[in-house]
Amino acid sequence: MSTREPVLSDELRAAITALFPRYPTRQSVVLPALHAVNERLGYVPPQAVVEIADLLGLAPAQVQDTLSFYEFFPQDRPAGRFRVWMCRSISCSAREGESLLEYLAGRLGIRPGETTPDGLVTLRPAECLGACELAPAMLVNETLYADLTREKIDEFLRKVQSGQKIAN
Amino acid sequence: MAKITIDGRQFDVPDGRRINAIEAAGQAGVEIPHYCYHPGLSVVGSCRMCLVEVGTPDPKTGQVRVQPKLTPGCNLTVSDGMVVLTRSPKVQEARAMVEEDLLLRHPIDCPICDKAGECRLQDYFFRYGRAGRRTDLMPFSSRRRDLGDVTLFVDRCILCTRCVRFCAEVSGTSELMVTRRGAREEIDVVPGFPLRNNLSGNVVDLCPVGALGDKDFLYQQRVWFLRPHAAVCTGCATGCSIWVEENQDRIYRLRPRVNPHVNRWWMCNQGRYGYHHVHDPGRAAAPRRREGAAVSQPDWTVLVGELGERLRRAGRLGGVFSPYLSVEEAYLLATLLRSIDPGAVLAMGPVPAIAEDERYPDGFVVSAEKAPNRRGVEEVLAHFTGPVPGFEHFLDLVRRGEVQGAWVSGGYRDAWIGESAARRFEGLAVLIVQDLFPSPLWERADYALPAAAFAERDGSYVNRGDRLQTAAMAVRPPWGVRPEGGLYWELLGRRGLYDQRAVLDELSREILYFAVAAGPIPEVGVDLKLNRLAGSLEEKTA
Amino acid sequence: MAAFEPVLSANFGKPESHTLAVYQAAGGYRALGKALRQLSPADVQGMVRTSGLRGRGGAGFPTGVKWSFLPKDHPGPIYFCLNGDESEPGTFVNRLQMENDPHQVLEGTILSCYATRASTAYLYVRYEYPLARRRMQAAVDEAYAAGYLGKNILGSGFALDAYVHCGAGAYVCGEETGLLESLEGRRAWPRIKPPFPAVQGLFRKPTVVNNVETAACVVHIVDRGVEWFRSMGVPPDPKVLGDVGSLGPKLYGLSGHVNRPGCYEGPLGLPCRQVIEEMGGGVWKDRRAKAVVPGGLSTGVLSAAELDLPLDFVGPTRAGCLGLGTACLVVLDETYPMFDFLYNSCRFFAEESCGQCTPCREGTHWSMMILERIKAGRGRLVDLDLLLEIGDQIGITPGTTICGLADGAAWPIKTTIRKFRGELEEYIRRTNPQGHLATEPVPACVEPCEAASG
Repeated sequence: MSTREPVLSDELRAAITALFPRYPTRQSVVLPALHAVNERLGYVPPQAVVEIADLLGLAPAQVQDTLSFYEFFPQDRPAGRFRVWMCRSISCSAREGESLLEYLAGRLGIRPGETTPDGLVTLRPAECLGACELAPAMLVNETLYADLTREKIDEFLRKVQSGQKIAN
Repeated sequence: MAKITIDGRQFDVPDGRRINAIEAAGQAGVEIPHYCYHPGLSVVGSCRMCLVEVGTPDPKTGQVRVQPKLTPGCNLTVSDGMVVLTRSPKVQEARAMVEEDLLLRHPIDCPICDKAGECRLQDYFFRYGRAGRRTDLMPFSSRRRDLGDVTLFVDRCILCTRCVRFCAEVSGTSELMVTRRGAREEIDVVPGFPLRNNLSGNVVDLCPVGALGDKDFLYQQRVWFLRPHAAVCTGCATGCSIWVEENQDRIYRLRPRVNPHVNRWWMCNQGRYGYHHVHDPGRAAAPRRREGAAVSQPDWTVLVGELGERLRRAGRLGGVFSPYLSVEEAYLLATLLRSIDPGAVLAMGPVPAIAEDERYPDGFVVSAEKAPNRRGVEEVLAHFTGPVPGFEHFLDLVRRGEVQGAWVSGGYRDAWIGESAARRFEGLAVLIVQDLFPSPLWERADYALPAAAFAERDGSYVNRGDRLQTAAMAVRPPWGVRPEGGLYWELLGRRGLYDQRAVLDELSREILYFAVAAGPIPEVGVDLKLNRLAGSLEEKTA
Repeated sequence: MAAFEPVLSANFGKPESHTLAVYQAAGGYRALGKALRQLSPADVQGMVRTSGLRGRGGAGFPTGVKWSFLPKDHPGPIYFCLNGDESEPGTFVNRLQMENDPHQVLEGTILSCYATRASTAYLYVRYEYPLARRRMQAAVDEAYAAGYLGKNILGSGFALDAYVHCGAGAYVCGEETGLLESLEGRRAWPRIKPPFPAVQGLFRKPTVVNNVETAACVVHIVDRGVEWFRSMGVPPDPKVLGDVGSLGPKLYGLSGHVNRPGCYEGPLGLPCRQVIEEMGGGVWKDRRAKAVVPGGLSTGVLSAAELDLPLDFVGPTRAGCLGLGTACLVVLDETYPMFDFLYNSCRFFAEESCGQCTPCREGTHWSMMILERIKAGRGRLVDLDLLLEIGDQIGITPGTTICGLADGAAWPIKTTIRKFRGELEEYIRRTNPQGHLATEPVPACVEPCEAASG
C-alpha cells in the first residue's frame, strides 16, 4: 500500500485541522474529516483513511471502524456526480416510493446501490429521509426532490443527461 | 463490610472493594455466565449474557424490592443489602434467549474448531441454553481471515469485542476494529496494518469462542488431552505466571496464569511462543566426554563419580551460573563447588538484555532483561561470595590462570558464546559445560552435560520485583538428560531423590533475602521484599 | 376546536423566516434577553421543571428532571447536544423547524445552555437534512455576529460556543448515547447506563441531550410563562402516581394516505382521528384508514377502531403502542397490505440495528430473514407466532438490551401481528398454498444457496 502522492491535498488538510479547536479530542474530528474528504473526492479511499489517522494521531483502524459503521462513505471509487438517495421507508413506501426506486434503477440500467458506468449517477435506497410529508422523496446531492412521480423522475434524468445544474 | 444476598445466600464483601456482581458471585461460588466482560478490560455490557435480577433495600422501610428491569451483572456494583437473583425464571429465559441468538448464525464448527472443550458458547449452551432449534437459518459459512499475528474465523465471532478492547486498552496499538453495522459486523484490520504486537497472543485467550485462532497452536492438539502445569515463564525478568500445557511430555502451548501481582491476565508473545526449543531435535541429548581428540559417550552411572574426581583434582574452581538456573539449583551448585574448594569463584553468566523495557498502557511490562532469575541467582551467590563477579571478570580470571577448573552452567535458548570467548577456556585443567545446545564452548568441554529445559525442572525464580514463584515441572526431559538439581544433589552425596522444596527450605533458612520463602509459597508467589525490613532492622540493632 | 395560536411553527411560511431579521421582528431573542437579565440559571431550570415539559424526541422524559441530574457545582465543562438526528420513519417536524425557524431552535438551545450552565453546544444534524444544516449554520453565524453566542452574551457574563456537527445516515445516532459516541468520532454504539449522560456524557463530562422541538419549547416557556405552557394539553392525572401530564404545544406530523400531509401544531392530547380528519383533510381517495402509526415507526400501529385515542404520552399505550413517540402519524388506507408494512418495518430495524448487543443484532436480523422467506413464498402460519416470540424476546423484558432500538423493532411486529393477524394469515396462505401449515423448521433447499433462508 505505498503511495508517492498523498491523497489529502494541503487545502483538505487545512480544512480538517481548522476543526481541531471545536472539540477537546482529535477523535471527534473523524466524522467531519470523513465528510470533508468525501465531499471533495467523492469517496474516502483507504489511503485517505491512513492519512486522516496520521493527521489526527489515531491508529488507522480507529478511523476505518467509524467510517465503516455508517455504510455511507464509498471507498473503492468515487460516487457518481449525482448521488441519489431514494427513500424506501414507510411513508414513502406507502406512496409508491419503492416502485419508483425500481423504476429509476431500471431507467439507469443499474441495481440500487450501484453507479452508472459513465460515473454520472449513484443510486442508493435510503431509510427515512425525513421528508415524509413530501413523499415519495429522494435526495440528490443537497437537493430534495419531493412528490415524486415517474414524470418527475424522467424530468430529473433529462437534466442529468443534458448536464444541467441541479438547482437547490 | 457489605452484606449481599445471592440466590438467597448471604455473603460478605469487604468494604472499599468496588466489585461487580459477576465478581461477587464468583467469590460466592456462583457462576454468572458472561462473554464480553473481562476484569482486565473496560465494561461494555453488550453480550447481555450476564443479566440478573437485582433488588435494593428501600432506604425508608428497609424492604427489598426486586427491580422489574434486568441488569447486566458486569455493570452492577454490589452494595450493602443488595439482593441478586441469578437463577430466577426471568434470568433463565434471558440467558436462553442470548444463547439462541448467538447460535442463529454461528457455524457449528466444533469438530474442526480449536476451541472445542474450552468454548463458552458450548458450555453455556449445555448449562443455560434451550433445546431445539427454531430457526431455518443454516449457518454454513465459515470464512477464515488472516489478521496478522492471529487468524480469524470470521463467522464464529460473537462480537464480544474483547479483542478490540484489548488492542485499544492493553497493548495500546488499536490494530483490531469492528467493521460495518448490525448483523453484518465483523472483526478486521486495516490492510497494511495487521495485528502485530508483542501482546497479540492474548486476544486468542480472550476470545470466548473459536473465532480467533493462535497460529502456533492451531490444529495441534485437542484441549481435553492437555494437562496444565503451573509454572513461570523464563523469557524475561517479569516472570509471568503461566500454564505449561502438555500431552505425553510434549508441550503444545503456554498460557498466562492469573497473578494480580505480576502479569495479571497477560503474557507476551516472546514468552508464549518461547517453548519450541524444548523439543528442538538439535538439543544436546546425551553427556559427552572428551579426552584429547577422543570423544566418548559415558554412562551417567560412571559420570557422577568422575566429575567429582576431576573437580577435586583441578585446583582453584570457578563456577559460571546461568541466570536461567533456579535458586535451588544455584544454591546446590554453589554449595558443591565451595565444598570442594572453599575459595571457588562464583560468577554470574552472561545476562541477555536489550536496551529498554517494553511498557504498555495498562502497566504490563516486558523486561529488557531476558532471563528469569538473575535476581535470585545473584542473591544466592552473594550469600557465598559477597560482590558477585560478572562473566567478563570471570573470563579475565581464566585468562590469568587464576581458575583451573570451571563448571559452566548455560541453559540459554539462543547462541550465547562465540569462538573467541570459548577459546579462552582451553587451558583449564577441567572444563565442565552444562547446556541445552552445542556451542563452541560445548565442543571444548572435557565433560559436556546436557541441561534440562525450564519445563523439565521444578524450581523457584525471583523476578524483577523480588517476587519468588515456584514453577512445577511439566514434561520429562530427553532420556539422556540428568536435570541440574538432581545432578548437583547426587554430586553432593545427598541421599534419596532430589527434593526441590527441601532445598528451598534449606536456603531460605540460610540466606536472609529468602527468609519469607521458608513458609508455604502460594500460587501467586511471595514477595521477598518483606525481608528487607527485617534485614535493615538487623543492621540497626547489630 | 378552540383557536390555538401556533408558536413552534408560527414563522413557517414567512418569507426569509430563517433569517435573524425576520426572527427578531417577530419577537425573537426576547426570551433570551429576559432570561439573561432577570433570571438565574436555577430560575430557568425551575420554570422548565414546573412547566411539565417532556422530551419531544420520542421518550417523553420530563426535561426539567433530566436537567436536575446534572451534578451541582460541577467545575465544568458541561456540554449540551441538540439532537437534530431525526430519523424515526414518519417523522419530519424537526426538519421543518431547522429549515424554517432555525433561530427559534437556536434560541431554545442557548436558553437551555444558560439553564444548565453548559459552555459548548453541539448541534448534531443528520446528513440527510442539508438545507436544515445550512440554515442552522447560518443562524449560528448570525447569532455570533449579533452577540447571542460567544463570550459575554448580552453583557451577562454567560459564554457559549455552538458548532454544527453533521451525521452520516445512521438511525441509532438519534439515541442519546449513540449520538455522544458519534460526536466523539467512534461508531455510534450506545453506552451502558449508568453512568448517565448527565453525570458522564460527552467526553465523560456532564452532558444534556435534548430534541429540537424540546429546545424550541423552552423559548416559549421563558417568554410566555409556565402557566401559559400548562394551559394546553392534558393535565396530570391525580389517580396515577407520578404522572406529570402531557402539557404544552406539539407539532403533529401527518404523512401517508391523507389528503394534506404536513406539519400541524396543536396542544398535546388531540384525538388521533381529529388530527387526521381536521388537520390532514382525512384519508385520501375517499378511502378509510386501516392502520395508523401514531408516533413514528417504533410506536407500532393503531387499528381503525383505536383512532379516538388521544395523542398524549399515555393514549397510544392503551392500545398497546410503545408510546406517543414523535406524534408523527403515518396513515395507511384499506388497500395497503399489512404484510408490506411488517416487511418494511423489519427491514428498517435490521438495517439500522447498531449490532452491539446480542438480542437486537440477532433478533432484528432473524425477523428480517423470516419476512424475506414469507415474501419468497415459503411462509408458514406458525411464523407469526415465532415473530411474536422474537418480538417479546427483544422487547418485553425491560433491560434486555442497551438501548430502546430493540423495543422500537419489536413493537411494530407485535402490534401488526396482534391486530392484523387474519390479514397476515391470509397472505401466507395465498403465497404458500402448499407449505403454510408446516410447523417444523425446514431448510428451503437441500443445497444452501444465496436465496434467503429464515
